[in-house]
This record gives sequence, structure tokens and C-alpha cells, in this order.
Amino acid sequence: MEAENGEGQVQVHLKTKQEHYAVPDVPYAIEGSVSTTELNIFLNALLQNKGAASVDFDFLVFDEYLRGRLCDHLREKAISFEDAIEIEYVERFPAPEPQDCLLHDDWVSAVKASGKWILTGCYDNTINIWTNKGKHILTIPGHTAPIKAVDWLSLDEVNGRFVSTSQDQTAMLWQWNIDSNAVDCVSVCKGHERSVDSVAVSPDAQRFATGSWDTMLKLWSAELEDAVEGSAKRAKESGVRTPKMTLQGHRESISAVQWMDGTTLLTGSWDHTLKVWDLNLEGIKTEISTNKSIFDANFSKLNRLIVTASADKNLRLYDPRTNQGSVVRNTYLGHNAWVQTVMWSTTEEFLFVSGSYDNQNKLWDCRSPKAPLYDLLGHGEKVLDIDWSNPKYIVSGGADNTVRVFKSRKATVDHMETK
Amino acid sequence: MAKKSAIKRKVKAPESINEQASVSEQSENEEDEDLLQAVKDPGEDTTDDEGIDQEYQSDTSDDLLFESDEEGNYLGRKEASSGEDEQGEEDDNDDEEEEDEDEEESGSSDDDAKDDQPSGSKATLSKTTGDSSNIAVAIPPRRDPSKPEYENSDTSDEEDIRNTVGNIPMHWYDEYKHIGYDWDAKKIIKPPKGDQIDDFLRKIEDPDFWRTVKDPQTGQEVLLTDEDIALIKRVNSARIPNPEHNEYEPWIEWFSSQVEKMPIKNVPDHKRSFLPSVSEKKKVSRMVHALKMGWMKTTEEVERDKQQKRGPKFYMLWETDTGREHIRRIHDPVSAPKRDLPGHAESYNPPPEYLFDAKEMKEWLKYKDEPHKRKLHFMPQKFKSLREVPAYSRFLRERFLRCLDLYLCPRAKRVKLNIDAEYLIPKLPSPRDLQPFPTVESLVYRGHTDLVRSVSVEPKGEYIVSGSDDKTVKIWEIATGRCIRTIETNDVVRCVAWCPNAKLSIIAVATGTRLLLINPKVGDKLLVKKTDDLLAEAPSSDVIESERIKTAVQWSNAEPEEQEKGVRVVITHFKPIRQVTWHGRGDYLATVMPEGANRSALIHQLSKRRSQIPFSKSKGLIQCVLFHPVKPCFFVATQHNIRIYDLVKQELIKKLLTNSKWISGMSIHPKGDNLLVSTYDKKMLWFDLDLSTKPYQTMRLHRNAVRSIAFHLRYPLFASGSDDQAVIVSHGMVYNDLLQNPLIVPLKKLQTHEKRDEFGVLDVNWHPVQPWIFSTGADCTIRLYT
Repeated sequence: MEAENGEGQVQVHLKTKQEHYAVPDVPYAIEGSVSTTELNIFLNALLQNKGAASVDFDFLVFDEYLRGRLCDHLREKAISFEDAIEIEYVERFPAPEPQDCLLHDDWVSAVKASGKWILTGCYDNTINIWTNKGKHILTIPGHTAPIKAVDWLSLDEVNGRFVSTSQDQTAMLWQWNIDSNAVDCVSVCKGHERSVDSVAVSPDAQRFATGSWDTMLKLWSAELEDAVEGSAKRAKESGVRTPKMTLQGHRESISAVQWMDGTTLLTGSWDHTLKVWDLNLEGIKTEISTNKSIFDANFSKLNRLIVTASADKNLRLYDPRTNQGSVVRNTYLGHNAWVQTVMWSTTEEFLFVSGSYDNQNKLWDCRSPKAPLYDLLGHGEKVLDIDWSNPKYIVSGGADNTVRVFKSRKATVDHMETK
Repeated sequence: MAKKSAIKRKVKAPESINEQASVSEQSENEEDEDLLQAVKDPGEDTTDDEGIDQEYQSDTSDDLLFESDEEGNYLGRKEASSGEDEQGEEDDNDDEEEEDEDEEESGSSDDDAKDDQPSGSKATLSKTTGDSSNIAVAIPPRRDPSKPEYENSDTSDEEDIRNTVGNIPMHWYDEYKHIGYDWDAKKIIKPPKGDQIDDFLRKIEDPDFWRTVKDPQTGQEVLLTDEDIALIKRVNSARIPNPEHNEYEPWIEWFSSQVEKMPIKNVPDHKRSFLPSVSEKKKVSRMVHALKMGWMKTTEEVERDKQQKRGPKFYMLWETDTGREHIRRIHDPVSAPKRDLPGHAESYNPPPEYLFDAKEMKEWLKYKDEPHKRKLHFMPQKFKSLREVPAYSRFLRERFLRCLDLYLCPRAKRVKLNIDAEYLIPKLPSPRDLQPFPTVESLVYRGHTDLVRSVSVEPKGEYIVSGSDDKTVKIWEIATGRCIRTIETNDVVRCVAWCPNAKLSIIAVATGTRLLLINPKVGDKLLVKKTDDLLAEAPSSDVIESERIKTAVQWSNAEPEEQEKGVRVVITHFKPIRQVTWHGRGDYLATVMPEGANRSALIHQLSKRRSQIPFSKSKGLIQCVLFHPVKPCFFVATQHNIRIYDLVKQELIKKLLTNSKWISGMSIHPKGDNLLVSTYDKKMLWFDLDLSTKPYQTMRLHRNAVRSIAFHLRYPLFASGSDDQAVIVSHGMVYNDLLQNPLIVPLKKLQTHEKRDEFGVLDVNWHPVQPWIFSTGADCTIRLYT
């Protein structure tokens, strides 16, 4: 037993970037067999000298979360026990709380939150708008086939505009008057030959991009008045819109589209590739080959990394800046079935959420590949889409006809304040 | 006499020891002659002698040549002497005296020369004394270095020519007056022997009598000279015969390690020595050849051989190495089989439980004819005492059997081939290197309420269609597992097949006796509409169909209520349809009705709404049919065999022999050269159509009947589904190189289907693009493995 633990004592330096939790930078000798709990007690004891209340911390050892015993962690990383080890501690991200369950008539395949509204797309061909308090505002029929993706174009006090795509091969541009609670279909975007599976609105909200099963990536104008003259008059009246740009390059269905910046698009496809498109060049800037079909890909503006969900149980982290191609930065194991959807936090640099066919959502820290931070349970069926656009709420829709809302309890606002 | 001596000069000793000796002898002979002359009887017939001499000379005339060959120096001299002889012969008749004088002259001159070599006289003695020659020692004459070596040498015969009978015991001639014969075959008369008185008188009168001896060979008397006597005396006193000999002469080392400036002999080298010898060259070349051919060995080799022979010698301890039998018996004896130890039953007084009861006895008797089946080979018996045990009744028979065993027992141990089992397994690549292939179950499509018979994937890979025994056809979205549409039919759905042409949106559904062409209304709306238009109305056909086809098949548009479900065309068959399969272009489709006898396989043409019955005769119970992906070929599987027909030429191309009892399914490689066949007797057969009509490989991977088998369109993969609930995914690489055989590696066994009523997996089908496989099972589910 002694030999097993027998690494004896390890010298550690405790550091933090959160100033108000700082402890004096002196080396502490601690047992090698300690885990997070013991470290927490120890650190809290140190802090209590300063009269602070008890806080839960997570410990980062060499840029990776400490999950088991310290000695195991060090052994795995092949770090000598003789060295003084720097342990960075951060306040533990508080567990998101299930807040609401929004019941639908059919599978919910698309969710998007913005402000206090939640937009959902449903397999019964309707779009629904909910408040984040769980109040159903509106059901919008219009599509003739299941909705596959929705996205907000703009939202203000008076009007909300959003776009929805569906298996009926169209994308629809909607304008919603909040006060009168009336919704208008501004235009129908026709051009795709198969189901439109993904949509993304450009940062300036002037354009949006759709990816479809017909392998095409199409760009559309998001203006209320389509700036096409003359011949499009008739089309405008009928509300039919044609793509501004069509980008061909994928060999299979495009399952994920995201704007990286005003002129750069990220797409993920079933043909096992991630592509970064430059809209000025109208071509491919970077291509990352993977070995699985990609179901979802998400790019973080904070750390400029891409996390993908593909046809297996793992989430993978890619760096689009590397030239070597498919360098997987990290693999996140935890789900038990296909991961269908993934999204970075818009405020926390290291956090992202994922939804999987094993009926679970998981909240991950990208520095903790072995285990997620939290499992967000609640769904009784496959999770089809997840959204964390609103930092306060994690919203996911699933095949159990519900949308689950989890309140991300950590007041990101607080966090901002501390910064 | 003079002539005789002259002739004698020519004669040389054939066995002359050396030059010097011969020279001295010759010179001595001359002296002897004088001596002999003196004792000679005056009355002797000289002519006779002459003749003998001549004869003798002619006999040895060859030696003359020899002599001259030996020493070139003699040549001139000999000629001179011969000239002398000639001269002598001429004068023969004229004047004997002259000759004598001549002789004397030469003799004196010889004597002069002899003076220098006094030892020569001693040598003469040996000749003259004949028998006593054993004491004669040839003394090398001391040469005067100032004189040329062979200056004075001339040879003459030293043989006693008066003896013609040779060296024989002379007493043989005691009774005769003569000794031998001369040239003219006349007797040579012995010299007269005086009586004792004469001897006595001579002893008194002759002062030299004491030194007169008789030559035993010739019987003549010889007068010994003073030198002879001195020599005899010296020999008798065991001194060195030559008085001149100085025993203590200073030693001159003639042959030393020192190289002298001047040659030892001052005779110039002969011309011959400067010329390369031809014969020597021949000899050398012969030796070189012999060396090359290995007939001859160099001295080094010979030396080495000798050295080796001298080294330690090894020899066989036993006779040979190959005579293994002898050694084997020592090292590796075949041990006799061990007999069981005797048990209680074998005792003469066994405990009662070992004795047979009635049941055991009955069993014993039952195996009367097959005694080897009995548990015991004897019947336990009980005796009161050992005395009562009878003699062993089967003794003789047992001996006989033992002998028989010995006769048949193996004499040598059978050598087992010691091959490592690993070695026999073909080297297959590791499955890890053959990725991607499905490894885990990813999705389960639930919704059917009875066993799902068939599944087919949309060519683009977004949807699947499944047909079930619950009389429904369901269309599913692959990625989410959502059932998009359920189409109810009137009968059990045996087979569904999505049209492989991506430009058409049709599903062929075999339900009962009807084949439904359904528009699934998924995917591209434009295609859906186009397909609807295409199927809306029947093209006018002017071909009159034969009665045979009419009774078998009827085409009709669907009823309005079925139209709503998506059914567009109904092809009603006369028997239940079991299988439907499309041609790659999507215009033709073939159906199988196992009960249709000679009309069990049908080919329908969609665009013309026509049906054909390709076969007029039934070749067996048709199980399934298949279109070749590239060529106009048609595969028909009956229970046991597969026939390949050319649809254009309408003839049988090939018949594949499966050697199995019941074929369940077929799948053809997208390139069209390899065919996979699944059978109900647990086998999967891989046919290389270019190779032979027999299976290239037979795989027995499943534990139960194999229901279905399928090739992937893009990846080198195939999968099989079986009643043992397993889907086995294998790697099946077909190489473009015709010389390389297909590589088959079983990769993964996927066993998640539940067993229901002895059925497991009923159908397998690959996703057209992804390495994903769909399997349908008796547990009412469709499962996706990725």
C-alpha cells in the first residue's frame, strides 16, 4: 500500500489567476496521493485564514484538470515527483441547474436562444418561440417538412428576425413582431436540392449561409428587401429568394456551418472533412481531414479552436491554424453514443457543451479530456441540438419532444466583474 | 695375338662402374695381355681365338654407341681407335709381328699414361682373379688436375674373352677336353694339364712358380706381378689395398655452402644446356595438366594430406550414421502400452459387488458378438481358495493375440511433422490497419412490430426503407433514426429494394404476390415529382405478350387509396414473390417466385411496363437472382448451384458449384468479378468468377444459417447476417492486378440483435457511402453499426 502511494510528498506551488483567492506563493509539501477533495479542503483552510467563505475549486496540473489522485496524474504525464509542481486552481464552474422543460408535439431538432427568447424547430414542420421562463409564445407553421436548423438574425425590443431551414429543401426568413406577436415569412430561399441541414448567420447579420444534404454551401442575403433588381421583381413579390453564392467542394452532406468571421466560413461534412471557406476567394482556405463523418462542428472565437461531434462517441478538438492537416489536439471521451451536437460557450474560454444520442448533455472543459465537468441529465431520448448562445442558459432539444433549459448558475456576469 | 688385343681395345665394359674405373681397367688389360701371353701355350690355334674375339666384339658393338653418348669427349678418340683397328685388320694377314709391335707401342704408351695412375693395376686383379673379385675395390684414381680429365682414357674390353661359357662353375667342364665353343661352333680346347711330376718339375725349375696361379674361369695359368703380390699382402693384412692412399690427407670441402667463383669442373657447359628442353617442356606441361585436372597433387598438398593423416583420426562408433534403427532403440524406444493395474474384479475372490448381477450378465451376453464393447473383457469369478482357480482357459488364444500384436506393432516411431500451428495460419493484416469498418452499434430503428425481413438504403444515403412481416414498409432517416413514413400493405413484406438510380425515387416492395413500386416522397422534390410523372401513365405498347407471361404477371396502376400512400404501380404475380432486385440503371428489375416452377424468375422493364420470363425450363428451385453491375449478365441461384446467363446472347455462361445444400443469398462485387454467396448451411462462399467455378474461399464464420450477405459499394468490405444474431464484417479486397488473389480478413462480429424464434439477423445492407451497415432482425429492429 505504501509502495503504491509511495511517492511520498510532492512539492507544490499553488497559483491562481483569480486574485481574490490568491494564497501566498510558498511551496507546500503534500502527499502524492491527494485528490481534488483533499486539495480543496487544504486550500479552503488556507483561505479561511483570510476569512473567506468556503469555495469549491478545480485544480489544473500542467494544463489538465486533476481528476484522480495527483500521483496518478503525474505518472501519466511522466512528470518527475522531484520537481516542484505548479498547481493552478480555479473556482469550480458551478453546476448548471435544470430549469425548464418545454414540451413540443414532436422531436425538437433545432434550438436557438437569444436574449430572453428561445427559438425551436420541430419535426412537425413548425417553429416555436418560447421565453426562457418557459412560456410558449408562438407556433409558426410554414415549412412542409421537418425543421432542421434555426438561427436568429437580429433581435431587438420590437422585432425579431430569424431564419429556419427544413428538409423541404428551403430556408425561410421570418420577421416577428414581438408586441403584436405576429410573424411574417419574409421570403423563402429556394435553391437547395435536398434537405437543408444547417444554417448560420453572419456576424453582421447581413447574410446567412446554409449547408445542405446536396453537398452545397449557399449564401443568401438576409436583408428584408432583397437587393436584386428587375427580373427578381416577381420573385420578390412571391417572396422567393435565390442564393447569392454557391460553394461546391464537399462530397457529402454538409452538417455544420459557422461563421468564423465576416468573410470566413467553417463547414463540417459527412465526407469526413472540415473546410474553412474564404468568401472573398470563394474557395477553400483550409481543409482538415478527419476519419469520421462530422455531425457538428463549432468554432470558438475566444480560443480559436474547433470542436467536432462525429459519428462516434468522441468529441475532438482541432486547431484550424495548424498546417499539418488533421492534428487532433484532444479527444474527449464520455458519451456512450453518437454525439450529435456541440457548442462552445460564448463567454468562457474553455467550456463547451455537447448533446448526444445517449440522452445526455455534457458540459466540458477543454482542459479535462478524461471526464466532463457535468452531465446535464433530463432528456429521455436522443439529444438533437444544443445551444449556449445565451451564456445564462444551456438549451437543448431532443427526440423526447422536449426542450430542456439548464440555467448556467455561475453568473458569468459575476465572473466578468471579478475580471 | 696382336690382332686380338687390338680388337679388344674397341670393346667396352657394358657394366662399367664409372669412367675412371673403365679407363684404368682398359689400360690394365693391356698389361694383362702381356702377362697372359707369357703363359700361353705356343701351340694353340690362334685362328680360333680370333674368331671368338670377333664374335664377342660384335655382340657388344651397341655399347660403343652408348659409350659415346655418355661422354662426348670420347667420340673423337674412339673414331681414331677404330681407324687404328681398321688399319690393323688390313695388315692382319701380312705381318703379325708388326701388329705386335704396334700393340706394344700402344701398350707402352698406355703404360706411360698408367704410370700416373698406378692404382689401376689393382683393379685388374679383380678381373683376373674372378671369384675373388669380392675383395677387389675400385679405387678412384687420383687425377692430375693439370691434365684434362679424360685425356688418357680409352676403353677396351676388360672381360676375359677366352671364357665363352660364362660365369658358371668350371667343374662342369671337368670331364671334357674343351671349355665352351668358339664363333665357328668349334670346341675351345682346355689348356693341357701337366701331371704331378710336371708340376713338381716346374716347381723346381721355375723360380716364378710360386707366383703362378690358375685362372679358374679359363683354366689358364697367370703369373702374378710384384704389385699383385704386394696388393694381396696388403689385403691380407687388412690394410688399405692402395699403398699410395693417404688416409690423413687434408680435407677439401668440394661441395660447400660457399658459392665458388669458378666451376669445379672446367668442362664447358654443353650447348644442350642452353637450349630449352622440349621433352622437359612436354613433361612440365603434362604435369601442369595433371595438376589442373586434379590427378596429381603438389608437394604442399601431399604434405598437407600427410599432416592430416597424422592428426587425430575419427571413426564411426557404429557402422554408419544412417543406420538409425540401432541408435533409436537405445535413445528412443517405443515403449509398450501400459496395462491397467489389476482391480478387485480381477481377483480370484472379489467382493460380491464386483460379481455380475443379472442385469450386468444380460449386458455381457448382449455383446456376445462384439466383445470389445463390453466394459470388462472378462467375467469376474469367485473361488473359495486359490487352489480352486482353474488354469487360464484363454492362455493359448492370448498368446496368439500377443504374437499378432507383435507382428503388427510398429517397428519405428512415426515421425510427427512438428509444424508450428502459427505457421500454417496465413498472414493476415491486422484489422486495425484495415479501418474504417463498423465496430459498434450506433443506432436502433424501432417501430416495426414483427420481424423485419429486408432493408434497403437510398442511393444518396440519407434514408433507408425496411419491409416487415407486420405488413408495413417504413422509411427512416438514417442520421436520427426517425421513421419518416409508414406504408401499409396487404401482405407480409418479403423484400424491399430502393432503385439504385439516383435520378429516380422508387422503392420496389415485394408483398405477397404483388410487387409495389412506391414513390417514397423523400429527398429531392423535383425527383419525386418527375418519378410520379414517369409512373403516372403506362406507355402504349404494341407488343403482344404471350399467354405464358400474361398469366404470370399483370401490370396495373395503383388504386387511389394506395396512390395516396405513395404506391404508383402494382405488378401482380401469380405466386408469392420472395425477392426483388434492381438492375444498376434502375430500368429493369427481377423478381423471384420460388413456387413458380419454370416461371419463377421474371424480369420487368419499368419504362415499357413489360415483363419477360427468361427461362423456359426450370433448373431447380430458384432462390435468388442478381444482375451483374456492369455486364448484361444475370445470376440465378438455385438451391445448390448458381448459373450465370448472358442476357444478350441468351445463353448460359457459367455454372458455379457451391457444394452446399441451400443457398440463401448472393452479392456481387461492384466491379463484377467476385461473387459472395451465403448458404443456410452456415457457409459463406467467395467466388472469383475469373478463376474457377469452385469457391475461391469458403468461410465458416457463423454458427447458424447465413441469411444475407452484402458487398460495400466503395469500401473493400462485406458483411453477412446470420441466424446466430451476428453480423460479421469482413475485409474483402479485390486487387486490380489479376495475379493477386482477393484478400479476405474477418474483421468484426457485431452481435446485438436479440434472438427470436430461431431467427437472428435477416438482412444486411451497406450504406452506399459511409462504412456503415444496416441489419434487420427478427427482434423487429433495424440496427446501424458504424
